[in-house]
Amino acid sequence: FVPSDPPAPRRPLAYAEQNESDEERQFRKVFQQLAGDDMEVSPTELMNILNRIISKHGDLKTDGFSIESCRSMVAVMDCDSTGKLGFHEFKHLWNNIKKWQCVYKTYDTDGSGVIGADELPNAFRAAGFPLNDQLFQMIIRRYSDENGNMDFDNCIGCLVRLDAMCRAFKTLDKDNNGTIKVNVQEWLQLTMYS
Amino acid sequence: MSGMASNLAKKRALAAGFGTNANAVKYLNQDFEALRAQCLSRGGLFSDPTFPAAPESLGFNELGPGSYKTRAVQWKRPGELCSSPEFIVGGATRTDICQGALGDCWLLAAIASLTLNEDVMARVVPVGQSFGESYAGIFHFQFWQFGEWVDVVIDDRLPTKDGELLFVHSAEGSEFWSALLEKAYAKVNGCYEALSGGSTTEGFEDFTGGIAENYDLRKPPPNMFQIIKKAIESGALLGCSIDITSAADSEAVTRQKLVKGHAYSLTGAVEVTYRGRKEKLIRIRNPWGQVEWTGAWSDSSSEWNSVDDSERQNVKADDGEFWMSFTEFLRHYSRIEICTLTPDTLTDDSVKHWSVCNYDGSWRKGSTAGGCRNHAYTFWMNPQFVIRLDEEDDDPDDNEVGCSFVVGLIQKNRRRLRKVGEDMHTIGFAIYEVPSQFHGQREVHLDKNYFLTHAQKARSETFVNLREVSTRFKMPPGEYLIVPSTFEPHLNGDFCIRVFSEKQTETRPCDDPVKADLDDETVSDAEVDAGFRGLFTKLAGDDMEISATELKTIMNKIVSKRTDIKTDGFSLETCRIMVNLMDDSGNGKLGLGEFATLWKKVQKYLGIYKKNDMDNSGTMSTPEMRMALKEAGFTLNNGIYQILVARYAELDMTIDFDNFVACLMRLDMMFRVFMKIDAHDSGFIELDFHQWLTFTMI
Repeated sequence: FVPSDPPAPRRPLAYAEQNESDEERQFRKVFQQLAGDDMEVSPTELMNILNRIISKHGDLKTDGFSIESCRSMVAVMDCDSTGKLGFHEFKHLWNNIKKWQCVYKTYDTDGSGVIGADELPNAFRAAGFPLNDQLFQMIIRRYSDENGNMDFDNCIGCLVRLDAMCRAFKTLDKDNNGTIKVNVQEWLQLTMYS
Repeated sequence: MSGMASNLAKKRALAAGFGTNANAVKYLNQDFEALRAQCLSRGGLFSDPTFPAAPESLGFNELGPGSYKTRAVQWKRPGELCSSPEFIVGGATRTDICQGALGDCWLLAAIASLTLNEDVMARVVPVGQSFGESYAGIFHFQFWQFGEWVDVVIDDRLPTKDGELLFVHSAEGSEFWSALLEKAYAKVNGCYEALSGGSTTEGFEDFTGGIAENYDLRKPPPNMFQIIKKAIESGALLGCSIDITSAADSEAVTRQKLVKGHAYSLTGAVEVTYRGRKEKLIRIRNPWGQVEWTGAWSDSSSEWNSVDDSERQNVKADDGEFWMSFTEFLRHYSRIEICTLTPDTLTDDSVKHWSVCNYDGSWRKGSTAGGCRNHAYTFWMNPQFVIRLDEEDDDPDDNEVGCSFVVGLIQKNRRRLRKVGEDMHTIGFAIYEVPSQFHGQREVHLDKNYFLTHAQKARSETFVNLREVSTRFKMPPGEYLIVPSTFEPHLNGDFCIRVFSEKQTETRPCDDPVKADLDDETVSDAEVDAGFRGLFTKLAGDDMEISATELKTIMNKIVSKRTDIKTDGFSLETCRIMVNLMDDSGNGKLGLGEFATLWKKVQKYLGIYKKNDMDNSGTMSTPEMRMALKEAGFTLNNGIYQILVARYAELDMTIDFDNFVACLMRLDMMFRVFMKIDAHDSGFIELDFHQWLTFTMI
């Protein structure tokens, strides 16, 4: 697993606005509309955005993002435990979702609109997560339906979490020895806010 | 990203000694030594991509792109401005700082005070920088930012107009340290214009990591002279000024040659014997190096003739410096700013060191943002810090016994920097005596009842919407509790609290330990009674296992019948998590025993939920939630409460039944996982990547 670059450090808004590309500026406009006055995206706002988008994609099978999975996505990304996402956190999520949507479509080889248990390992590998079979089995048990099929919202929820957890491990494994050591407080902070 | 992990990593780094002046955090991860070496080996000068020589680095409004003030600005390196630039000529002196086209006199006054203290100066301006052999167009400076020192790298392209520096410059045309220091400070703050308008106190603190106090001299504390004297003895930076009543008054000179609206440095305080009595004197320095007070006790005034020669030897004044009596000082001057230095800023053994404790904390809506004492229902939820005062001050001149200490509360407000001004919270703190039964304990968070039945012993002077509130106290030895808060409850904010004391004291966050008292609730298949078995058979269908979908149907059937608990229904997602948490067999469904165990837990949680819903609202308010968690056997601390509220509470800060169950189920399982792996009770668990994902992906 190779994590992508961390988001840029926060800058005062005025500075950031002066110093961004047109694409970023456009994205910021969208963000401002979504996030409202507080400039932060709450789980409910995230749910509305995601559901609005998937309604436009008929080829993605989904029963819609639930508030529970949106809360979980916000939690794993949130840096300051306010329960909301700031601009950079949201941008990171957004770019990932765009990327994973392509992977999803590509690896839905039978065009069923869902990722079957046989399609999943390759799809996840393509998304940058080469896990072992045991972990794939666990993921299918947790995120796929009784027939082993994973629909779009579950797939995104799972990948967001997987991405965050891989990152978390990497961040905490400072000496790169393949293990991390946590005390009970840290353990709960990591596992309860997710 | 994954916020929590990076927070933890940062905390660990701080604990390991990063962020001290000797081991400063690299701002934007830029490493001065490495970057300079790169430039030298490549033979080019450094250009900083993170703070480009471009209009956006100047400002956004008055200095914004295309503005009148920034027209025709050119960025030039010192070598393009003069033939032989120097970093520092003859040591850093106050004449090195001449104001440019920017309203940052507050910063310059602070830099000027800085030049009076070599040790402090050396921390901000690391030595070994020059335009000589190792010059590569790169320089670095260190600033204190909310509890940690950051090392800031810049390139030496400076904004100029008509061949002159636009902002700070040195009287010596070939000296550049002050202009480069200003650039580095502008970089930390986003742009040059961000430096416009501020208080000297902020500059004092960002250059020293010290704690600043302000005194209004119209109503000075009775021991003002002692405070000044002690501050000077301990190497503090002191400034004083005369308020102006109108803009026209600025820098107006009085009949006796005092300058109004001007930042003076206060450099001495002594008592001399004058006509058989003690006279208190104050020495003041005009940073201009001239324009001195002409009244009593000034340089050649007659008062000095009545002072014994032996005493006069110790009372000297350089150019720009003058003495005046303390009484007249109080009459003429309006305010005094004292920046007490932290022990790590002081290397001089002759000065008395204050000890300092520094802690970070946060207020979060619904969990730890309790508001001030007016809000009895939530006040106790604020973060709490305990301070132990052991030893009284050594103070022969002072009849009052007690321990002196200064408490400073700084709001970090980083995240909301973008809306500076309107987003400063109104903050302050209260101090309570710790009840004797809790003495010596740290792992206790005092609850509502304590605050309802006990009065505060002291408090910050005011609740105010400034970056920092600081107040000096003198209290008898003992243990005290400091409770920092915002004025109104439910406001998110980050803060840093510091306690400076003359004698060694101990300050620590005061919080409950994290532990769980779990009963063994597992029910085996054999233990299940016939009635339950019958129910299970009916629910589970042919496969004799309960899937997440089936669980959802069951749970919702039950809660829909009840009017006394609120819920928006168990979602499939929540049920999936529950099934996976309870699923020992690993088949993704619940068997008879697994379901019976889950059932027992849900019944127990329902009882606790009902019992702690004191106002019968059908939901848990966040204070009720805290009580409920305690009853369920979980002792948690502020950090954990914050994330539970952020994760499980609704926008109105209530927790409904399905979220309550989801939260307790996960908490229960995560504690069990930890205890199982930490079989020897070491307090730590070590996990490899595979184990980590196995537990965290549920």
